[in-house]
Amino acid sequence: MYQSVHTNRRDFIKKMAMLSAMTAAASMFPGIIFAKEQEKGIPAGANLDWKKAPCRFCGVGCGVLIGTENGKAIAVKGDPKSPVNKGLCCVKGYHSIMAMYGKDRLTKPLVKKNGRYVQTSMKEALDLVASKMQETIKDHGKDAVSIYGSGQWTIPDGYVASKLFKGCIGTNNVEANARLCMATAVTGFLTSFGLDEPMGCYEDIDHADTFVLWGNNMAEMHPVLFSRLLDQRLKRGVKIIDFATRTTRTSMAADKSIIFNPQTDLAVANAICYEIINNGWMNKAFVEEHCNFSKGLTNMGYGLEDNYKFTDKPESISFEDYKAFLEDYTPEKVSKLTGVSVKDIKYLAAHFGNPNKKVMSFWCMGMNQHSRGTWVNNLVYNIHLLTGKISSPGNSPFSLTGQPSACGTVREVGTLTHKLPHGVVMNKEHREFAAKIWDVPVENIPSKPTYHTVEMFRALDRGDIRFMWIQVTNPMVTMPKLKRYRDGAKKEGRFIVVSDIYPTPTTDIADVILPSAMWVEREGMYGNSERRTQYFEQMVEPPGEAMSDTMQLIEVAKRMGYEKQFYYKDETHIEEIYTEYRRHHDNKKHNMAPLEVLKSQSGAMWPYVDGKETKWRFNAKYDPACSNGKDFHFYGKKDGKAIIWQRPYEPAAEEPDTEFPYWLGTGRVVEHWHTGSMTRRIPVLHQAMPHAYVELHPDDAKRMQIRTGDNVKLTTRRGEITLPASVNERGVPAPMQVFVPFFDENMLINDITLDSFCPISKEPDYKKCAVKVEKA
Amino acid sequence: MKKRVGILLVFALLFIGFLANWTYSYYQGLEEAYIPIHEASDILVIPSEKKVFERSGYALDYLNMPVDENHQRTLDTYYNNRAYPGAPPSIPHPVKEKLGMGSNICLQCHQNGGFVEKFNAYAPVTPHPEMINCKQCHVEQQTKSTFVATNFYKKPAPEVGVNNALPGSPPAIPHQLQMRENCLSCHAGPAAVKELWIDHPERINCRQCHVPKAQEVQNVELFVRANTNLK
Repeated sequence: MYQSVHTNRRDFIKKMAMLSAMTAAASMFPGIIFAKEQEKGIPAGANLDWKKAPCRFCGVGCGVLIGTENGKAIAVKGDPKSPVNKGLCCVKGYHSIMAMYGKDRLTKPLVKKNGRYVQTSMKEALDLVASKMQETIKDHGKDAVSIYGSGQWTIPDGYVASKLFKGCIGTNNVEANARLCMATAVTGFLTSFGLDEPMGCYEDIDHADTFVLWGNNMAEMHPVLFSRLLDQRLKRGVKIIDFATRTTRTSMAADKSIIFNPQTDLAVANAICYEIINNGWMNKAFVEEHCNFSKGLTNMGYGLEDNYKFTDKPESISFEDYKAFLEDYTPEKVSKLTGVSVKDIKYLAAHFGNPNKKVMSFWCMGMNQHSRGTWVNNLVYNIHLLTGKISSPGNSPFSLTGQPSACGTVREVGTLTHKLPHGVVMNKEHREFAAKIWDVPVENIPSKPTYHTVEMFRALDRGDIRFMWIQVTNPMVTMPKLKRYRDGAKKEGRFIVVSDIYPTPTTDIADVILPSAMWVEREGMYGNSERRTQYFEQMVEPPGEAMSDTMQLIEVAKRMGYEKQFYYKDETHIEEIYTEYRRHHDNKKHNMAPLEVLKSQSGAMWPYVDGKETKWRFNAKYDPACSNGKDFHFYGKKDGKAIIWQRPYEPAAEEPDTEFPYWLGTGRVVEHWHTGSMTRRIPVLHQAMPHAYVELHPDDAKRMQIRTGDNVKLTTRRGEITLPASVNERGVPAPMQVFVPFFDENMLINDITLDSFCPISKEPDYKKCAVKVEKA
Repeated sequence: MKKRVGILLVFALLFIGFLANWTYSYYQGLEEAYIPIHEASDILVIPSEKKVFERSGYALDYLNMPVDENHQRTLDTYYNNRAYPGAPPSIPHPVKEKLGMGSNICLQCHQNGGFVEKFNAYAPVTPHPEMINCKQCHVEQQTKSTFVATNFYKKPAPEVGVNNALPGSPPAIPHQLQMRENCLSCHAGPAAVKELWIDHPERINCRQCHVPKAQEVQNVELFVRANTNLK
């Protein structure tokens, strides 16, 4: 029996009456169109030049229109033509241009001499970077130099970085902070489907009936997409279910909020599968036709030790094996472990199991920054595969991203140690293919991946890496167990180059600080979470000698003797790079739209085939790459079948004990983006959220006699930190848990977090470690 | 004979039905007894967060509501009814019921608003209907005179239209939010002040764009990081 979505008859009739009124109203307005209203606020006679760009901040990739006057960006409005946000932005987006005008903007290079930073010219600084890199290669070998970028790299930035390091220098020491954020989503997709990135798109929101948010505070972190959910709720009465470890703004907005104990989402997801199979809700035809069952290794460890290695050994199993495995995950058994009531588990399962309801799952860091992250990603795909709710409008497991081009640059260009723009370094054909386009000998590209991010910083500490170039990211705020990596980076004999727009804790460890041109001070592209590539032109001049990261890399490459590979002309280099990059993806499964298309519209989703974007991959109705003659074709896997994984529950690396009795989780707030180096320089945002805090449950606070604003000392095995308390404010953690946002460089919570990671994706778990809480 | 068999059959069926029912509920009972009863963990309500979303069910009505120009409140009448910006407004109309604390008598008009013939006005909607001792804060004005004159300085109300950082950007919230967390109660609906009327009540998650400006926080000094080009 399906659990009725409507609780009782009276309620139902009331809702139906409301709904009919709503449909009448809904027909009067088609979506979020908003810019006209914003225009009212613009003074008449202002001579603004409006140009389109994707937003600088998160991975949603909202279209914004930027108004410039006299060479300065002075206003922002949502682009009503963008299918992503339909004219709406969030508070960060509306004020994004102010991030370019902080007073302490870096304008000229700074070089460390005898412990002091000396201002120099860009030419000299780039000479120094190139010669230092060559010197390091000569003295310590190719694998002693490395580059660490981020999902804020534009596509051309990441592309030239990969070409220079992997193709020309010949080291796989290329990583990006997306490893701390998206790597698990990648391995989740690869293990289940063989190809990265969501099969669906944001349009799924307009079709789905139920939204399940897995550990995802969407109202604050992806507010514009969340608004699209709220919009659908007003118009169609959809259900929003918040499944989380902490009560947040999203819980307050959701129709139902379910709280689970940290790490036990693994068990709940398996219990949902158990319910689906045992209630006969499985879509048998779909599973038989399109799915295989597999299991992998268990007890993988947590990567806490240096040089930790893990490779999964997948093994085929039968449906019966899988069913037997699920016997351990009856709702009754799982309820004890997870703190989720049997009723709530069944409620969740009923939503997925109801054949008349289309379900969309959303998740972001809750599932990705998870010491068994790849597993929990697999488990959510299991639910969607078992019910056949995938790759069709409204049925969509959707992994969100936090950076503007985590997908576009890190995942698609492949700026990770094992990746190439097309394929992986381990594959000979892939290496040959890349070497041909890059115009380098294939022997240049090493066949072995080197260090993932955490290990890369460990290698820097150990001295295996001697030179590191850090671009558009702030690892000295974001690395877990930060103190070790900060001390390591400061050791003698390390040379660190940091390209950034503001001084940050990361520029503090630099030997050379290069001023970068950001966002619309240069030309570039970002790729958002729904496979949409978006172009932006240069709209304002960068300050001083600030230079785009692409240009910095090209200049250094030329100085190192790679003029042949870096043949790009100054005026047209972005276009040339993009055209060259497209050749890597020249196939039906990944074709990128040509630049003219990106310039003329609000981006385009890949695969872009015969002038058309593909909204739902693996579905023969929408995806021209499907070739097996069936409704669905999971062509990422050789036999065209997706994999349902047997993945058990395993505890986190460090769980609360008597000495450290609380869970510590970290995260973000709506006002600030990541480490706050940009958003804290926007007065509106700083004034709304001036500093970090530690959230406590009111009962814990009462017991310890802590009130909002009181100082609280947090101690873990890594160290201690004191922050002001926040009780019953923005969010409320469950009892015996605390939450700290990480944006505040004056209160570095990562000094005390743990560097355990998912053994498959190597992505650290920032959401779970054990902490002692005391009134300071 | 047939009739008797029929009756017997009916009883037999009833009995079987009873047995089936009984066994079913017996096993159900067993299962229930086995299930460890985990009360769903209490979902806390965060007032400052929860209330933003209240009344959003009416958002579409608000959006499509025609403007009744003859009965609109103005910013002046709105603030004249308060001792200072943010003070609880007084009750500007006679109250027949002197005995009670307010409660349902007030809420019948002020919970959801609507036109009140008697006062020829739309009833403003309260942002905190759960607080039912209305008259502890909201008092009736019996006279316009004062006992002695006052030197109290009435701070001017936050201005409208000047709270945005950029041309056309969403204005910051210029007032305190305590007990006024529910935006729609004052900023939408027929009783809303003309100047405070929002044209997009259906957006619901107000604070994704409008962030507070006047909240009480620990002051953070101007931050200066070393290693800049600044002299």
